[in-house]
Amino acid sequence: MQIDNRCVKRNKLLDRIFSWLFLAMAVLSASFIVVIILFVFIKGISPFLPGYEYGQVDLLAFLTGTVYRQDQGVYGVGFIVINTLIASFLALLLSFPISVLTALFIAKIAPKHLATGMQSVVELLASVPSVVYGVFAAGVITKIVDALATSFGYVTYGGSSLLAVILLLAIMIFPTLTSMSITAIRAVSPDIEQASLALGATKTQTNFKVVLTAAKSGIFAGAILGLGRAYGEATAVAMVAGNKLFGPTFNPFDITRTLTSTMLVGLKETTGLDYDIRFSVGLVLIVVIFVSNAILNAVKKRIGNQV
Amino acid sequence: MELCFDVKNLNLWYGEKQALTNINMAIESNAVTAFIGPSGCGKSTFLRCLDRMNDLIEGCRISGAIIHQGIDIFSKAQDIVDLRTKVGMVFQKPNPFPMSVYDNIAYGPRCQGLKDRKKLDEIVINSLKGVALYDEVKDRLHDSALGLSGGQQQRLCIARAIAMSPEVILMDEPTSALDPISTNKIEDLILELKKDYTIVIVTHNMQQAARISDYTAFFLLGEVVEMDKTDVIFNTPHDKRTENYITGRFG
Ligand SMILES: Nc1ncnc2c1ncn2[C@@H]1O[C@H](COP(=O)(O)OP(=O)(O)O)[C@@H](O)[C@H]1O
Ligand SMILES: [Mg+2]
Repeated sequence: MQIDNRCVKRNKLLDRIFSWLFLAMAVLSASFIVVIILFVFIKGISPFLPGYEYGQVDLLAFLTGTVYRQDQGVYGVGFIVINTLIASFLALLLSFPISVLTALFIAKIAPKHLATGMQSVVELLASVPSVVYGVFAAGVITKIVDALATSFGYVTYGGSSLLAVILLLAIMIFPTLTSMSITAIRAVSPDIEQASLALGATKTQTNFKVVLTAAKSGIFAGAILGLGRAYGEATAVAMVAGNKLFGPTFNPFDITRTLTSTMLVGLKETTGLDYDIRFSVGLVLIVVIFVSNAILNAVKKRIGNQV
Repeated sequence: MELCFDVKNLNLWYGEKQALTNINMAIESNAVTAFIGPSGCGKSTFLRCLDRMNDLIEGCRISGAIIHQGIDIFSKAQDIVDLRTKVGMVFQKPNPFPMSVYDNIAYGPRCQGLKDRKKLDEIVINSLKGVALYDEVKDRLHDSALGLSGGQQQRLCIARAIAMSPEVILMDEPTSALDPISTNKIEDLILELKKDYTIVIVTHNMQQAARISDYTAFFLLGEVVEMDKTDVIFNTPHDKRTENYITGRFG
């Protein structure tokens, strides 16, 4: 009896220590995020405030501008936001069917050995650093784009282009989206698959009509994550975007400029307004991601409930 | 008496383990046949043989024959999709698709290529009426089937099977996950359905077998100990083991 009591007491104490520890960790990580956003916010907002040391910038002109030239001191990001949205969405659009079909193949169709092998490859791809994708894009994708452009009678800037960015991002989204889709597909209850087969549906009909339908919420979550990666990817994108000075860019063979490449290119060699304004661009990126996530999550809830 | 299934010398193995041994059975059309027996004796396994759902299980081997409409369902001549459209199945746990009530029922016909909206509407409504669910769900045909109660979901699953106008409906303990009221509804439904369909039902519940079935087969350790008219099995069984099981001496 006595021993029992002591154990209970010690467990309670341990319990309390752990819950404090968890709380401390949660507060710590939350405060990191707050500090980072606050820092970017304060730095990013400063050029638009009166009394800014390098001369106040007009916020509206910044947000709606279609020219971004540091040599002339003209900073407009309106077209860059549009470029970013175009590149990211088209990359997702391209990657989505490929990723989902690959996931379906790995989770449901491929023989075990092949499935295991392919899944390891996908996981490996997810862990390849973005700079590696960047050199691949700069060395291979640009060549392909250039050849394609030539056959259409266009001249590119060495292949750097909107299309190259889209292809690059599509490749980079693929592992995330595929892994998430595999997880979602594997989580579908075998009961409903059996129900479908018992109704005389073929395996293919079952996979497309029942399994994918049941997994769509998880697949959609993967798409949101993938889109986040596309918005935020800087290093590799900067290597093939071409940093166009005005826009937006709609021609796939023309060079483009994304929010991330704008922030990154030349960051180390600059000072003053041109340095500070990159924080403003970062702030815009954060807002774009928040808004886009909010919209997509609302959509996800809709399609999830609708079933 | 017309035979729906004629099972001849059926043996089934899961890997090395034999789960069914030398089963011979005649299942009559337009009657309710119940399978009873302790858990793990092979009732579900045998039921799944009747629409070849064991094909999906890795390492499952079968010998013997099941004759349905003049052909052995295990032979090459039997198209599996064709078999499964004629032999419907209702599972132990209600398993509606995560779709609307309407789409659940239209699923089977649609998979067979039926697109005509009017025809589908008709099938959906008739199937729901056939399981006495129409009045309960007519205002939410396009809401998710997952929002229905367990009993309603199971009736939906029966309606989904009926929508294919099968000849046979196999049911594997269809009421074991349900409350008594829903169970009663399903039992009444089975008695209603037997006019139009051959029904084979696995049940854990002996009273249920006695109430609804015309024939009963008693399974033990992968064998059929005895099969006869239900009142014979329950009142004057020939085998001592059947009697012991019926009277609750083991199970
Ligand atoms: N998929 C399977 N793989 C291997 N063994 C199985 C499988 N399904 C059932 N069995 C075994 O076959 C025997 C009969 O099972 P089952 O048909 O489910 O019995 P019942 O429905 O009468 O309870 C049991 O011993 C069970 O462990
Ligand atoms: Mg069973």
